Amino acid sequence: MSAWLRQRRWLVPYLFLLPGGLWLLIFFLVPMLTMASVSLQEGTLGTGFRMTFNVGVFPEVLARWDTQFLRSIQYGLIVTLLTILIGYPMAYTIAFRGGRYKSILLLLVIMPFFTSFIIRTISWKFILADQGFVLGTAKEIGLLPEAFRVLGTPTAVIAGITYNFLPFVVLPLYVALEKIDHRLIEAANDLYASRVQSFLRVTLPLSLPGLFAGSLLAFIPAVGDYINAELLSGTPDTVMIGNVVQALYLQNNDYPQASAISLILMAGLIVGVIAYTRVLRGQELTA
Amino acid sequence: MTDQRNDQTQIERAIARALAQGRISRRRFLRQAGKGGLITASALSLPAILAACGINPGGSGSPGASAGSSLVGGTPSGKLVFANWPLYIDTTNDDVEVAEEAGQRESATLDAFTAETGIEVDYVEAIQDNQEFFGTIQPALAQGSDTGWDMIAPTDWMVGNMIRLGYLEEFDVAVSVPNFVANAADKYKNPSYDPNNRHSVPWQSGVTGIAYNPALTGREITGFGDLLDPAFEGQIGMFSEVRDSLSLALLHNGIQPKDATEDDVRAANDLLKEQQPLVRGYYGNEYAQELADGNLAVTMAWSGDVFQLQFDNPDLQFVVPEAGGILWIDNMCIPKGAQHPADALAFMDYVYRPEVAAQITEYVNYICPVPEAQEIIRQHAAEAETDEDREYLEAVAESPLVFPTEEMLANLHSYKVLSEEEERLWNELFQEVTLG
Amino acid sequence: MDAAAALTRAAPRSPRRFHAGRWVLPVYTALVVAYLFLPIVVMIAFGFNDLRGRFNFTWQGFTLEHYATVFTSQPRMNAALLNSFIVAVVSTVAATTLGTLIGLALTRYEFRGRGPLNLLIFLPIATPEIVLGASLLAMFVSAGVERGLPTIIIAHIMFNISYVVVTVRARLAGFNRAYEEAAMDLGADEWTTFRKVTFPLIAPGILAAGLLAFALSIDDFVITQFTAGPDQTFPLWVYGASRIGVPPQVNVMGTLIFGVALLGVAGWILLQRRQASLLATPGVGP
Repeated sequence: MSAWLRQRRWLVPYLFLLPGGLWLLIFFLVPMLTMASVSLQEGTLGTGFRMTFNVGVFPEVLARWDTQFLRSIQYGLIVTLLTILIGYPMAYTIAFRGGRYKSILLLLVIMPFFTSFIIRTISWKFILADQGFVLGTAKEIGLLPEAFRVLGTPTAVIAGITYNFLPFVVLPLYVALEKIDHRLIEAANDLYASRVQSFLRVTLPLSLPGLFAGSLLAFIPAVGDYINAELLSGTPDTVMIGNVVQALYLQNNDYPQASAISLILMAGLIVGVIAYTRVLRGQELTA
Repeated sequence: MTDQRNDQTQIERAIARALAQGRISRRRFLRQAGKGGLITASALSLPAILAACGINPGGSGSPGASAGSSLVGGTPSGKLVFANWPLYIDTTNDDVEVAEEAGQRESATLDAFTAETGIEVDYVEAIQDNQEFFGTIQPALAQGSDTGWDMIAPTDWMVGNMIRLGYLEEFDVAVSVPNFVANAADKYKNPSYDPNNRHSVPWQSGVTGIAYNPALTGREITGFGDLLDPAFEGQIGMFSEVRDSLSLALLHNGIQPKDATEDDVRAANDLLKEQQPLVRGYYGNEYAQELADGNLAVTMAWSGDVFQLQFDNPDLQFVVPEAGGILWIDNMCIPKGAQHPADALAFMDYVYRPEVAAQITEYVNYICPVPEAQEIIRQHAAEAETDEDREYLEAVAESPLVFPTEEMLANLHSYKVLSEEEERLWNELFQEVTLG
Repeated sequence: MDAAAALTRAAPRSPRRFHAGRWVLPVYTALVVAYLFLPIVVMIAFGFNDLRGRFNFTWQGFTLEHYATVFTSQPRMNAALLNSFIVAVVSTVAATTLGTLIGLALTRYEFRGRGPLNLLIFLPIATPEIVLGASLLAMFVSAGVERGLPTIIIAHIMFNISYVVVTVRARLAGFNRAYEEAAMDLGADEWTTFRKVTFPLIAPGILAAGLLAFALSIDDFVITQFTAGPDQTFPLWVYGASRIGVPPQVNVMGTLIFGVALLGVAGWILLQRRQASLLATPGVGP
C-alpha cells in the first residue's frame, strides 16, 4: 500500500483534504449560496417568496440598522481586548509555570463550560442583580450609589460575552506559548536581556500565531452574539446585529432582510479579517 | 418522532415553490453525498444519515388542497402527538398505579388519559413563541400536508390567523367535545377569533396586566400610566411581544384593540417611543426573574407567573390596568392534515372534565376555563395531607389570578386579529421601539 | 565585557523581590479560575434550594430532595442530555479527525488550491452562528432533509472542523521535520514514523483541539436551535425551561455533570502521578 501511495505522492495532501473539505463544501458553501439567493427575494411567509433580484435590500438594510452594526463591532473589539488582556497572563502561567499541572489547569479553564451557558448566564444575572449579594452589599456599605446597576447596561453584555469566550482565547494562546522553545528565552537572558525584554522580544512575537487565532475566535463570534444581549439586557441601546437577525428571522419571518444582514455581516468580517491578516503578515492564514 | 413525517416530498416541494430558488435535485444531492466517502470512524456516513432521515425517492401521492371544510371526528386510533408550551401540564405522577398502567411516569393527567382510553400521548413542549412555531409548520400547511402534529396550542390571535388561512381542521364541538359545552364558562364559548368554537377550544387562559413590588414603588399601582412615570426610571419592564405592549398602550389611549386603526396604532407606538428611555428592558418570560430579583419596580406581567412569584415574595401584586388589560387564551386546535384528529378531540373532551381541569390548573396556575374546578380544588385543599399542600391548594382556589372575578373579566379585552399587512406594520413600528 | 560582570548582570535581582514576583502570576491565575467558576458555584448552590413555588430565583432554604428526584422528575431533560452527549462525542471525533488531516495537509505539503481552501476553512469561523444555523436550515428544508439528531451532528461537525484546523495549525506551524527525517533515516517507514514520532509530538495540539470541539459542541445553542427540529439537546431544553423558570433539577444535573468532570480530572491527575512515579522508579519503565 505504501508503495502505491509513494508513487502517487502528490495525491496525499488531496486525500487528507478530501473528507473535511467536502464536508465544508456541502454543509457550509451550499447553504451560504442558498442564503444569498434568499436575500434577493421578496415576499412573505404567507404568500411565498419570489426571486426579484432585489439588490436594493442591501443599502436599505445598512441604512436602517447602521447603529446596531456599529455597536456590534464596537462590542466585539472591546471583548477581544478584554479576553486577551485577561487570558494572556493566564495562558502564559499555564504554559510556563504549569509544570505537571498544565493539563489540569487547562481542564479547569474549560470545565465551567461543560455546563450549559444558559445556566451560567442565569447565574450571572443572579450575581449581578441590582440588590444581589455583590451589588446589594456594596450599596449597603455605601460603596456604590443606590441607582447603580450592571444588568441592562452595555457593561453586562460585554462582561457576559467576555466570560463566554475567554477559554477560546486561552486555549490557542496556550498552544502557541507551550511550544516555544525555552532555550530561546534562555539565550535572550544570556544575552543580557531583562525578563521584560525577553518577553517582549522573544516570547510575545513567538506567541503571535496564538494571539492571532485567539483574537479571531473572540472577535468574530462576539460580533454576531445575541444571547448575552437578550438574557443580560433587554434594552434597545444594547441591541446587537445578531438580535436584529434573530428578530427578523424568527419573529417577522422576513427571511430576505435577515439574509441580507447576514451577508453584509459576513462580508464585513471577512474584509476586516483579511486586513488584519495583512497587518500580521507572515502568519498562518495566507501561508 | 421521525416516523410522523412521511410526506417530506410534499414539504420540500412546497418550500422550493415558496422560496422560488434553484432546487437541489435529490439525485444530485445524494450523488454528492455518496462521493462523500468519509474517512472518519463515525457510523454516520452521509448516505446513512439521509436514509435515516427518511428521504423517500418514491414519494407518496400528492394530497391536493383540502376541499372545503369537512368536519373531523370518528373513532380514536390510539395515538396523539401534542405540541404545547412549556410547563403547561402537570409533570409528575404521584399515583403510581395509574402511572404504571399507562407505562409512563410523566404526568398524572396524561397517564390517566392513556390508562382510560388507551391513547398514547406524545407530548412535546415545542412552542416557545407563536410566530416561531408557526414558521416551523407553515410550509407543510401551505402544501396541505401533515405537519406531524395532531394537536397544537397557539394563542388566540394565531388561531385567528390560521383559521383565516384555512390551516385548521373543523369539528362540531357539540358532538365531539361535549364536556366543553357542558362545563366551560360562557366567556370562552363563541370567541371572536373562532365563532362557535368550530376550530378550537381553550386550553388555559391568562391575563396580561401589571405586576409591581410595593417595597420598590412605595405606592399602589393602578394602570398603564404608572408604567410611564419617570419616578420609576430604569425600573420599568415592558414586553417584547408586540401585541401585548401595543394593546395595553392602545387601551391606555382609550381605544379597544379590536377597533384600532392605523393612526391609533401609530399614536400608541409613539407613546411607547416616548416611554423607551425610562424602560429597563423589553422582556419575554425573563421579566419574572427581574421582578423577583428586585430589578424591576413595575412591569407588564402575566397572571400565572405572578401567582408563582408570590410564593417567594407575598408582597408582589398583580393588577389589571384600570384602562383595561388583555385576556389571552391558548387554544387546543387541530392543524390541517393531522393524522389522528379523533384522538385529539378525545383529549379535548377529557380535559374538560372538572376534576381533570382542576388537576391541570393546580399545577399550571393559569386561568381555568372550567368554573367547577374551583370547588374541586377547594375540596382537595380540605383533604390535603400536609399543611404545605393545603395552603398551596387554598391559594390556588381563592386566587383571582386563577379564577378571576366578574369585575376583573369585565375589564379584560382580546387581542386584535391582524391581517398580514397589519402584522407587518405592527412589527415594524414596535421594532423601532425595541430594537432602535 | 568580562565573564564575571556578564554573570552578575544576568543574575536575578534581590531574592526578596524575585520571591514576591513569583507569586503574582499564580495568584492571578487562581483569581481568573475563581471568576470562571463563580456562576458554577451559584448553580450548585441553587440545586439545594427549597422552593415553595416554581421559580428558582431567591434562596429559601436547604433541601436535598431535588437530588433524589433529578433522574425521575424531568424525563425530557434526560433525553436532551443524552442527545447532547451523543452529538458532542460523535462530532468531536469526526471533526477532530477531519480537521487534523486538513491541518497536516496545509502545513506539510505543497498543493494547488491552498488559497481557496484557507478561505473555505476560515469562513465558517468568520460567520456568526445565527447565519450558519439559518442557512443550514434553509438548505435542509430545500433538500427535504428532516431535521433531527443527524442534522445537528452534521452542523456541529461542520463548524468544529474549522476550529480544529485553526487550533492544530498553531501547533503544527513550528513543527520540526528533523525528528521525522531522523526516524526515517533510522529505517522507519512513513506510517511507523507517523505513529511513533509525529503523532505523539502533535498529540497535545490535537487534544487541545478535541477539547475545544467537545466544549463547543456540548454547549452550542444557536446553530443547534436552527437545525434541531423536534429533537432537543440540553442547552435547548434549558433555554426553553428558563423562559418560565429553571427547575432546580437543572441545577442539580449541571452540578452532577460538573462533578463527573471533576472526578475525571482527579482520576487523570492520579494516573499521571502514578505514571510519573513509576517512571522515576529505577528499574521500571522502558
